[in-house]
Amino acid sequence: MSFFELLSQSWPRLLQGLGVTLESTLISLVLAAILGLLFGMLSVSRAVGARAVARVYVDIIRGTPIIVQAFFIYFGITSALNFRMEPMTAGIITLTLNAGAYLAEIFRGGIESVDKGQMEAARSLGLSHGVAMRSVILPQAVRTMVPAIVNQCIITLKDSSILSVIGMAELTQIGSLIIADNLESFKVWIIVGVMYFIIIMILSTISKRIEKRLKADA
Amino acid sequence: MPKIIVKNLQKKFGDLEVLKDINLEVEEGEVVCVIGPSGSGKSTMLRCLNGLEVATSGSIVVDGHEITDPKVDIDLVRRNIGMVFQQFNLFPFMTVKKNVTFAPVKLGLMSQEEADKKADELLDRVGMLDKADAYPRQLSGGQQQRVAIARALEMNPDVMLFDEPTSALDPEMVGEVLRVMEKLASEGMTMVVVTHEMGFAKQVSDRTIFIDGGVVVEEGPPEEVFNHPKNERTQNFLNMVLQ
Repeated sequence: MSFFELLSQSWPRLLQGLGVTLESTLISLVLAAILGLLFGMLSVSRAVGARAVARVYVDIIRGTPIIVQAFFIYFGITSALNFRMEPMTAGIITLTLNAGAYLAEIFRGGIESVDKGQMEAARSLGLSHGVAMRSVILPQAVRTMVPAIVNQCIITLKDSSILSVIGMAELTQIGSLIIADNLESFKVWIIVGVMYFIIIMILSTISKRIEKRLKADA
Repeated sequence: MPKIIVKNLQKKFGDLEVLKDINLEVEEGEVVCVIGPSGSGKSTMLRCLNGLEVATSGSIVVDGHEITDPKVDIDLVRRNIGMVFQQFNLFPFMTVKKNVTFAPVKLGLMSQEEADKKADELLDRVGMLDKADAYPRQLSGGQQQRVAIARALEMNPDVMLFDEPTSALDPEMVGEVLRVMEKLASEGMTMVVVTHEMGFAKQVSDRTIFIDGGVVVEEGPPEEVFNHPKNERTQNFLNMVLQ
């Protein structure tokens, strides 16, 4: 089969796979941002217990491979509690918990990178810790966090390919299925690779633009 | 009643006892300068006065509020205590004017219009009105510090604390900041100033306090402390800095 025959034949399925990849990544990243902000705030909290909770969560996620996390959620939890879960649901939960931990670390680092004097100045004017954090510290922290956040988006997009192991019909899984039909391993993986590459290049370009603009503002 | 009453203030960082037993009173309208070698605890003492450092033991009463009471609403008390930092600590993403008006508007103490009007007056007083729309990074250190003073004054404080306000400045900018402080002192503001500027302490303060090793070694009118120091440690310190 020629390259272009193959491409035109499998293109609709590949696009569908790409759609699932983008959808699961996007949903996961939105949920992970909320989770990350929550645990990021806990990890800079003055309460020892809150910091410990955040520490445990981040350590567990960072200390285990994402494929084990996916298996645990899709097979482990469902069999222990005896219910069925869609691969897409399990995939999104896995990506969310995983990216959430890394984003929590990014948020913590960003907040801690803001000079301590900023919090002191805000507090000395009578602002509460929470108000000072939201209106003085976070706006400054976000600027330093943008490159790391975009980087995490790219990593999560790529990690979604691992979810093919639990049968989520994302781009990599579709690639395997197409190869099962036509045995064109070499060509199909090139096409799949190029599709990931193009999406990630687009993300990187956007990220560089944002960085440039933030630098101009700062 | 004195504006500030400090009794038996002790502050430890871990095992390190930075303040041993500080006793101090500051009357309304009084300008007190605190001098002493680096690491003597003078900045820590100042930071205890608005609760940025929590006293290990002892009591601090500012404006009738007991800062050292764990139940005190420290945010409320701090509204009346202005603080100026060595590193200015302006908010870098806000214009000069926004820096000044931000806190009182956020706290609902003034409308934006009221705050703007007062900010214009204060910025004019510190000679920074023409830079109202500039960002902190566009200003020199001396200009930033004058804005920081205006920001603290916008809250209508009863007491102003200065933590080595000129130590981070290039020498040619020290004067402009000291002149603003001098004006403030002459207008009757209650001020506690931790400083290395001996000339300022000598001329402007009503009382000078020499702190060393976490204790008040000597205090009195500046002409006495500077010209006739009684304690040997004060003499040594002054000899070194005034040589």
